[in-house]
Amino acid sequence: MEADAGLDRRLERIEEIVRLLDSDSLGLDEALALFEEGVGHIRRAREVLARTELRVEELIGEEGEEVREFEPAGDGDGDDAEDG
Amino acid sequence: MKARNLDLFADRSTEPAGPPAPKVWTVSQVNRAVRRLLEETLPQLWVTGEVANFNRHRSGHCYFTLKDRSAQIRCVMFRREAATLPTDPDEGMTLRVFGGLTLYEARGSYQFVVSRLEAESADGMWKLAFERLRRRLDTEGLTDPARKRRLPDFPRRVGVVTSATSAALRDILAVTERRAPWVRVLVRGTGVQGPGAGRQIAAAIDTVAARGVDVVIVARGGGSIEDLWGFNEEPVARAVAACPVPVVSGVGHETDVTICDLVADLRAATPSAAAEAVAPDGRALGRRLAALGQRLGRALSGQARARRWRLDRARERLFGGARRLTSAYRQRLQGGRAGMSQAMQGRIQRRSARLKEAAAAMEALSPLSTLARGYAVPLDVNGRLLRGVGDFVPAERFRLRVVDGNVPCEVADRPTRES
Repeated sequence: MEADAGLDRRLERIEEIVRLLDSDSLGLDEALALFEEGVGHIRRAREVLARTELRVEELIGEEGEEVREFEPAGDGDGDDAEDG
Repeated sequence: MKARNLDLFADRSTEPAGPPAPKVWTVSQVNRAVRRLLEETLPQLWVTGEVANFNRHRSGHCYFTLKDRSAQIRCVMFRREAATLPTDPDEGMTLRVFGGLTLYEARGSYQFVVSRLEAESADGMWKLAFERLRRRLDTEGLTDPARKRRLPDFPRRVGVVTSATSAALRDILAVTERRAPWVRVLVRGTGVQGPGAGRQIAAAIDTVAARGVDVVIVARGGGSIEDLWGFNEEPVARAVAACPVPVVSGVGHETDVTICDLVADLRAATPSAAAEAVAPDGRALGRRLAALGQRLGRALSGQARARRWRLDRARERLFGGARRLTSAYRQRLQGGRAGMSQAMQGRIQRRSARLKEAAAAMEALSPLSTLARGYAVPLDVNGRLLRGVGDFVPAERFRLRVVDGNVPCEVADRPTRES
């Protein structure tokens, strides 16, 4: 599985590994390899969860063709009122 | 009457004296005068009546008749105002319209210029438009619950369509950062109210969807039905339905239901609720990962345990087998030993019995007892028994063994054989 695999794919794979390990049709080497793989996925997923800062980008331009880091508008902006 | 209106008739005072020639008006002058009269003497007013022959002209102006049982008025709603109408009224619908009277000079007919048009309740026209579009979308199946797509459990990129300066967006970002800060958010700001809002919102949905997000939030804070109207427009419904990824709608407050809500894959009550629905709970995820780690460990030790158990069993069987094997031998060995000694003993006993018998027999057969009865045994010099006449050689010496000693003898003559 690639390094930036989504959390859902990681979780699915970990669950699959647990199921495999619960079965008794595995060779010991195979079981150990699966265990290591599962632990790796857990570690990577934890790394993802450890991020704390939200990354927000804004699409701008007529067709939304440009992307820039989103800068929240200052408080008291006139448009806030109408947008409730 | 206002002074200005009096001017309409002021011409009279400037006429020359004498039998005044009657003032002759042109048709246009009359109509203009009446028009001014109508426009400037009657205030703007609300009128109620049933609508008939509503007609939206290519120019964008709308023409219709408002009537009651005994009278009718021609009405016009010009393009600018007509553009704010969410839909056309049904024939015979009771309306109330606000506007002013004027005269259409070209025809000399008076008409009511409508600036606002409402059904019996203020929201009536909006509700009518809503229900119409809703019925159409229902018929097309766009609001079918079976069409709703499941939201991704763990989106990596979330698209947000809302006003870029809105509290709704701030709420969405705050909730997402609290729950799932690893998520990337892509914002497409859009106008959310006023004419054309529907098209802008639809275009914004298309734009973020094209950027490869996993899910789209369409949001707006609360407002009147008119404020939220953009989210009830058909282009939004179409854009939501066509969006390649699931759409969560968080428009207005809990009580507001929009067309966007109905077509979306999930309707959230508010923008914050939309973000909650989209952003997985990081803490819950952390707990799940911990639990999975434990299960993984247990599963592996289960594997080890299963092997140890098999090993133990194998060892047991192996040693058990060996024990059984050796014990059989041991038993046979012991049995053999016992048997052997029994057999030996038996044999020994049998032998000793025979020995006794033999001893007794030998006793009986002993020559000494025979000798004691008076017999003698001839033996040659070597001690060999001389049994028959052939054993005796003339002149050879021999001895007679008698019971108490030996008697030296010599063969005196040729022995004779008795037949």
